[in-house]
Amino acid sequence: MRELWFFLCLFKPYKYGLSAGVLFALLTAFSSIALLMLSGWFITASALAGLTVMDVNAVMFNFMLPAAQIRALAITRTVGRYAERLVTHDVTFRSLAGIRSWFFQQVIPLAPGRLSTLRSSDLLSRMTADIDALDALYLRLLLPAVVAGVGGVAVIIFLAQYSPLISFTTACLLLLAAIGVPWIFNRLGSVGAEQSLVLATSFRIRQIDLLQGFADIVSNQAAERFSDVLHRCSDLMLNTQRCNNRLTALSAALSLLLAQISLLTALSVATLLLRDGVLSGAEMALVVFGVLAVFELVTPLPPAIQMLAKTQKAARRLLQVTEMMPTIQEPLVALTIPLRYDLQLDKVSFRYTEQQDWVLKALSLTIPHGAKVAIVGASGSGKTTLLQLLLRYYDPVEGRVLLAGEDIRQFNSDDYLSCFGVLSQRSQLFAASIKENILLAKPNATASELAAAIHAAGLSAFIQDLPEGLQTWVGENGLNVSGGEARRIALARLYLKNAPVLILDEPTEGLDSDTEHDVLKALLRFAEDKTVIMVTHRQAGLPLVDVVYELQQGILIAKAL
Amino acid sequence: MPLTESDNQQYFDKSKLREKAGGDWLRMHGKTVRKQTFLAAMAGIINGLGVIVQAWLFAFILQAVIIEHIALPLLIMPFVIVIGVFLLRSGCVYAQQICGFEAGAQVRAQVRQALADKCLKLRPAYFKQRQSGELAAVTLEQVDALELYFTRYCPQQIIVGVLPVIMIAVVMPINWVVGLIFLCTGPLVPVFMALIGMGAAAANRNQFLVMTRMNGYFLDRLQGLSTLKLFGQASRELDTINRVADDFREKTMQVLRIAFLSSAVLEFFSAVAVALVAVYVGLGLLGRIQIGPANGVQFKEALFVLLLAPEFFMPLRQLAAFYHDRAAALGAADAILAILEQDEAQFKPCRDVPRSIIAFHNVSKRYGKRDVLTTINVEIHVGEKIALVGASGAGKTTLFNLLLGFEVSTEGTVFLNGTAINPTLAAQSIAWVGQNAYIFQGSIRDNIALADPHASEQRISNAANAAGVTEFSAQLADGLLTLIGERGFGLSGGQIQRIALARAFLKHADIILLDEPTANLDASNKHKLLDVIDELFKAKTLIIASHDDAVIRRMDRKILLHHGRVQL
Repeated sequence: MRELWFFLCLFKPYKYGLSAGVLFALLTAFSSIALLMLSGWFITASALAGLTVMDVNAVMFNFMLPAAQIRALAITRTVGRYAERLVTHDVTFRSLAGIRSWFFQQVIPLAPGRLSTLRSSDLLSRMTADIDALDALYLRLLLPAVVAGVGGVAVIIFLAQYSPLISFTTACLLLLAAIGVPWIFNRLGSVGAEQSLVLATSFRIRQIDLLQGFADIVSNQAAERFSDVLHRCSDLMLNTQRCNNRLTALSAALSLLLAQISLLTALSVATLLLRDGVLSGAEMALVVFGVLAVFELVTPLPPAIQMLAKTQKAARRLLQVTEMMPTIQEPLVALTIPLRYDLQLDKVSFRYTEQQDWVLKALSLTIPHGAKVAIVGASGSGKTTLLQLLLRYYDPVEGRVLLAGEDIRQFNSDDYLSCFGVLSQRSQLFAASIKENILLAKPNATASELAAAIHAAGLSAFIQDLPEGLQTWVGENGLNVSGGEARRIALARLYLKNAPVLILDEPTEGLDSDTEHDVLKALLRFAEDKTVIMVTHRQAGLPLVDVVYELQQGILIAKAL
Repeated sequence: MPLTESDNQQYFDKSKLREKAGGDWLRMHGKTVRKQTFLAAMAGIINGLGVIVQAWLFAFILQAVIIEHIALPLLIMPFVIVIGVFLLRSGCVYAQQICGFEAGAQVRAQVRQALADKCLKLRPAYFKQRQSGELAAVTLEQVDALELYFTRYCPQQIIVGVLPVIMIAVVMPINWVVGLIFLCTGPLVPVFMALIGMGAAAANRNQFLVMTRMNGYFLDRLQGLSTLKLFGQASRELDTINRVADDFREKTMQVLRIAFLSSAVLEFFSAVAVALVAVYVGLGLLGRIQIGPANGVQFKEALFVLLLAPEFFMPLRQLAAFYHDRAAALGAADAILAILEQDEAQFKPCRDVPRSIIAFHNVSKRYGKRDVLTTINVEIHVGEKIALVGASGAGKTTLFNLLLGFEVSTEGTVFLNGTAINPTLAAQSIAWVGQNAYIFQGSIRDNIALADPHASEQRISNAANAAGVTEFSAQLADGLLTLIGERGFGLSGGQIQRIALARAFLKHADIILLDEPTANLDASNKHKLLDVIDELFKAKTLIIASHDDAVIRRMDRKILLHHGRVQL
């Protein structure tokens, strides 16, 4: 319940819209009940009056007023329903859009350190499907509950004026049919509901595996096997849903039966009361129609309770992410970034978790402003970890990283990262045009700055060859462009950002020797007045630097050039 | 890509045709579950008959008690029948839901199977063009979006055709004016709803387009969040996320605004019918109105028709509530059909039989207007060791893709062992390690044993040893059983490469294709690996795409690609 309450609080900014929706829903519900009750009362009263019309002394029955009221209620019900639908849905989608951006905001500090433990497909389904599932919170839980609660209590009180006994039995059976039975069956089905969500997630993960790794699957003749697994997964999902559906159906049948029994009870008791002269004929019709109407109010409640577990699960999955601790903490009072960029690692030790081995051990390294350093070492020796500590993806377990003598924990991480330009083995391209991808580094860059960056990165010829030029769309992870072209786009970004410290993580990996030569030439010119920290195992990059260190089992050893 | 006006216009033009195709497709699947749908509808109709009997019994009892003052003990029989009707109706509610579910479940299973079969027939190149988040959404959410159409909408469609007719037939002999009120208000409703529904379906599909784009967009941004942070753009991206989410809301509301009109129309007619009937029979009972059989109306009959008035519209109201399901199913059908109707790669058989193990005969490949490969003629003999050399973009990867049957040549034929290439044949005889080998959710062992999950532990650990996987796996607590996944996060590029090589070692294939195998490796590891490659693939035909001199020197022969042509 705590999870749902948390998200209800996020709905708060929209409280006026939410209340307006409730008011319209109540208006519709009341006109609907009143229409039925008034009609029942009207024809009974008319019948009784009609009988007595034969009687000369009969008092004239005023039929104009109820007839007009009946017509007015019919109109109110129609208008009220439309308004209710529009208002409630609009405000729900507004709230969901708000929650979506709130969620993204919560995820930002988790990247990249903490986020690496989650699969992005899983994160995506949290950001889309789980947030969508929250629409039930208002539309299918809160709204019907308020309407059923307020409307039900009002009708019960109204009935009590005529017969406390009918009012009481109706209230009891109502509670049982609308809340008791669905609640019990929901309890029975909660395991299945959770299971079907878990199955859906695992289905999605397997599906994305199948699609993204399709080439590897086909060439290893594993396609049949993967699709069998998916098929079994889908069958399992259907089976769980089948069991749950049986419970829902049973609960719906039971609820209907209870509603009918309460109608029958009301009818019997009213008959007795009529015989005793406690109720008049018209009042009896009013009471019976009232009981009939009140059950219509609570029909949305059983499915609502059915939804509860699903909504709760979705809320819990969202909170699981947003309540994660980021790997780094922002300082309470941030220092301003100094103008000199001397970097220093001071007896830094690091391991990812306490169970794992140390990646770096009491490592010290000073990189003065403008220095150009290369770090070499076998794969897995901790080179990338060292760069990640410099970029403050993680904080060292022991020791400090210093910028101009200040611990980098004292800077705001966005400010701190603005000092760095990074070129790595994997060039992340976004599903956007080439232009947008380059402008990521400086959204307000002028046309001439953009042109200079493209030229410096050696992209001019490539872009000229494209029919759509700079506007060419690059797909998911830039799969439509070759690795070399992606690297050049990343290089153009680096140029545009023009940061004082360059972090180069295997900058020419996977490139042919021509492209490698071009990229290095561009970097050489570009890095002249900057600090360079490069991780590489290729000889070709070494002219860029003055000092070479070798990282061996977490310890740095200076090497002659 | 941003949605523009012309996109929308184009979309609108196509929508008519696609809606028809989607409707036909849904009907076709509806036929396969005809029995379940019919049973669910029968349960619903019997329930409706129960409602009529019940209304009559209530009217009878109220007349007896209020007007005729008959004592309760004399009414035992009607009460007993009422209880019987209650039980019957509850049973029907249960049966309808159970049968309906089966219809939906069967269709969903069929469609998922069809999608899976289709995916296997498509070329891997197809998946690179589409965002995998989108595709996963199709097989999961869109297929589920079909459910309610079959479980609720289809049976309800039958019920709507039957129940109101029965009710009018029952009411007519009792009071033809009320019958006429039913007759006039009833059929108007579906007409209005159909008109409104047409608009809703088109708008709904538009919304699906926005939704799938939204999913793709979010996945993209979530995957690249670290890069965004590096450029200080993460908070700025928040605005775009806001805009995309808001766009989605607006499109959804556009659908709903129209969809809700249909529910308002229904609400209006059913409210008006209740009001008309109540006023008519009420005034008739008072003797104030002379139209039709108003004068002779009895209280019992008046109550009966009044109780029946809301019930008359109940099947229609339910159908309207389920109309959403139809629109959602149409939207989903569209997304599903888009995949099912994809062209499958056509591999032509050819009689010309070259003797070499691999032969390219006048092969050209064009993407649109861009020539990637031009008249390639290459023969490779059994046991040859070939270096495929060329700048990035020269067409090395495309050449591999053609050989693997991932893509079809625009002109010419690729032969494998004298047979024109097809993907099954290629998968049997070629082991391939691509540049970005994919790591699947599972253990390192599972990832190595991809080609043969039943391989002995000995063979798997041999392959792991040979490719140098053991070097790093030995340091992990669970060794080869360590769980990895999603692009091998937690693994370095070099480690992924080694797992992929172990995969290829494990697979018994005559031909080995390696795409840049030494990328991501440092010098000492590289030489170790090349030694291993030499040793393990001694008896095989080996082609390595590389620009690394150390690799090229070790090969027998070099094929140089330059701008899509073979250079001698």
